[in-house]
Amino acid sequence: MDPADLIAPSSPLGYPAPYALMVVLKVFGFILHMIPMGLWFAGLPIALLLRRARDEEVRTIGTRLASAMPVLIALGINFGIVPLLFLQVAYHRAFYPATILMAWHWFGIIVVLTVAYYGVYLHAVGIRRPEACCPRLRQAAGWIAAVLFAAIGFLFTNALSLMTNVRAWPDLWARTSVAAAPLGTASNVADPTLWPRLGVVIGLALLTTAAFILIDAAYFARPATAAGGRAAGRTAFTIATVGFAVFAAAGTWYVFGTWSASIRSHMLGGARLPLTAATALSAGLPWLLIFLQRAGVRPGLAAATGAAQLLVLTLNAISRQVVQNAELLPYFDVTAEPVRTQGSPLILFLILFVAGLAVVAWMVRQVLAAPSPQRQGG
Amino acid sequence: MHYPWWNVPFLTSPMLIAIIAVLHVVVSHYAVGGGLFLAVETRHAYRTGNDAYLGYLRKHAWFFILITVVYGAITGVGIWWTIGLASPLATETLIHAFVFGWAIEYVFFIIEIVSAFIFFYGWGRLPARTHQAMAWIYAGAAWISLVLITGITAFMLHPGKWPETRSFWDGFLNPQFIPQVLSRTGGSFLLASLYVYLHAAFRADPGLRDLIAARSARPALLGAILIVAGGAGWYAFLPESAKAALAAASALNVLMVLIFAITLAVFVMLYLGPYRHPGWLSPGFAILLFVCGFAAMATGEFIREAVRKPFVVYNVVLANQVLPEEVPRLRERGFLEGGVWTRAYVATHHPEAMAGDTIDVAKLLALPEEERIALGRVLFQHHCNDCHAEEKGYSAAAELVRGWGREPIRSTIERLHEAQFFMPPWCGTREEAELLTDYLASIAPPLPGGMDLGAGR
Repeated sequence: MDPADLIAPSSPLGYPAPYALMVVLKVFGFILHMIPMGLWFAGLPIALLLRRARDEEVRTIGTRLASAMPVLIALGINFGIVPLLFLQVAYHRAFYPATILMAWHWFGIIVVLTVAYYGVYLHAVGIRRPEACCPRLRQAAGWIAAVLFAAIGFLFTNALSLMTNVRAWPDLWARTSVAAAPLGTASNVADPTLWPRLGVVIGLALLTTAAFILIDAAYFARPATAAGGRAAGRTAFTIATVGFAVFAAAGTWYVFGTWSASIRSHMLGGARLPLTAATALSAGLPWLLIFLQRAGVRPGLAAATGAAQLLVLTLNAISRQVVQNAELLPYFDVTAEPVRTQGSPLILFLILFVAGLAVVAWMVRQVLAAPSPQRQGG
Repeated sequence: MHYPWWNVPFLTSPMLIAIIAVLHVVVSHYAVGGGLFLAVETRHAYRTGNDAYLGYLRKHAWFFILITVVYGAITGVGIWWTIGLASPLATETLIHAFVFGWAIEYVFFIIEIVSAFIFFYGWGRLPARTHQAMAWIYAGAAWISLVLITGITAFMLHPGKWPETRSFWDGFLNPQFIPQVLSRTGGSFLLASLYVYLHAAFRADPGLRDLIAARSARPALLGAILIVAGGAGWYAFLPESAKAALAAASALNVLMVLIFAITLAVFVMLYLGPYRHPGWLSPGFAILLFVCGFAAMATGEFIREAVRKPFVVYNVVLANQVLPEEVPRLRERGFLEGGVWTRAYVATHHPEAMAGDTIDVAKLLALPEEERIALGRVLFQHHCNDCHAEEKGYSAAAELVRGWGREPIRSTIERLHEAQFFMPPWCGTREEAELLTDYLASIAPPLPGGMDLGAGR
């Protein structure tokens, strides 16, 4: 069977905005999502480990990281909806079949996420109120949540790699269907890109966590002590080094071990080579900045680390988008769909988006201007 | 048809949407009404200098965050997740039509989340005025989210002029928009009070309970009135087919009576209880009120879903994931040929039935009986499984044709929408109707034994 025969027709409604705008919004939303996502994916288990450290300052870092999780998860979930929204507009022809083939796994994310999120709250309440009951249960809840978030990361990578692995659809469909209707039990584990892609995500998540620790120590930890700054620098450096190594290894495996000849020539030749090279090398920049702070956090460098990590995430998101389009190109061209621009709703959205950011900025400013709560111990 | 069909045994995959939707709405309405409750009551507590009440409100805000920001947010995403799996063509259509409506809604979600967290975590740190402002920002953003999503869900029941104009605003400002905004706003007021009673009955000091009971009774009663007013508008602006479905389906008759009876019962209990006798608010009374409110909301959502049949989106997408404009072509060339995945299935499993690139449906009838039944089952999955389980389960087809012979099955298939106007028309050829008949006849159980109908005397 030709896998191209399984691609749905274009929507008769056409794109509601030019493709370029939608893909910019999709990538922008994905970058926003990757920040908190990295922090719960890698940051939560790290926080749990740090809270077991002998050094009190290191324990404090873990406590602060774990305490931030409820807010980070709430923001991450909502930021994640934006890219999924535009993904469904522009990539529905591949997205729906892939997720339906593995429907129970995809659906299961909702259940797993609910349990994981409450696990995080259970753990965080134990930190806020050490006198609260069942400390062992609260500790276990944190670990269970960390494992479940890892499982969610795996399922997401599985679904989104299956979306572009169209050639695998016929076989998965044949093996997991009844009367041509998928049972929703397929999994994309045989896809060679799955594991290195997951590795890249883990590497990026570790780097994001390291950058977060430095920024938190430099700007938000009260009282900011020299010992705390040294602990943050040391801890962030260890995490970033592991993250950088994982990113480099998985990225190399991904590019040279799994890309087809056509994708390699697409990404390693012509105008896209600088993008690919920048994506690969960029992770060295935050690592270098963290290396310079291994003996102690410096606010200016901490801010630069955050900016550098944002650049790394941005380059990875853009490159991933270019690869995704190239992988789907043999089946359909996402850029060639008809467009029926919805002018006034689009303008209203952009206005409200800017206004919304202003409201959020005002609210955050009020919090920053308010007296700080007591520093929480580990 | 454009997409693979997810087989969920016994339940059918669209029922997962209904389950998640009901689980979500009972919290999402609280997320709106509860926000207003916190804004109004925090203001009252600050103004009157009632520190004990402020203390209670802080506890309630934590409960509110745990319920709405976690469970409410995830089940909200869950609905979206599930509709993409169980109703992909309708989801594709809605997202293409309203992507910027959803995008605007998520701007307000972000404002909600940030303001909710700052309201709670800023308690005691923020100046009173700023603290109250956070609550009001949350309440406003949450209500606007309700308005935005209601425009889209109301569109599914009555798209107004959208099928002709394809204009975002014609679709969004549809005839059902205002009635549903009214009833959902009312539902938010009512449900929020019921959550407050439930929480206060267990967590508030006895002295405060009377104050909470009395102050939350008015918005609850107002909510009940808005529900009735919105419900009347909802009925007035229903498409003719939906009104007919309400009149024809006995299950919906019962549910309609049930929803009015429960709403009335809640109204009376609220009036006699928290409004006139605040001291009555005990844990048992609060649980009873909450269960009744939950039942009314769940019933309302079920009716809202059911009356749309035979459409998922009225006049835009049929319940079996077919666009109405595709029906004539499917009846001429075949359902199997018209479906992306069904066509690929036939080409792979029955290459002998292919004439070049297209399916020769006449050749399918020449297949051995076992293979005809198997193909009939493929047709069933993609044409009927949206609303009917196979042999057992939700509205199981086998039970519906119990004791039928081939002829009544075949003629019913060919005249589906005439036999039952809330079913989609048959979207295949006569030959494909034969295949589906083969399958249904193979699973139809005999008439129940032991019945004396007098026919044999």
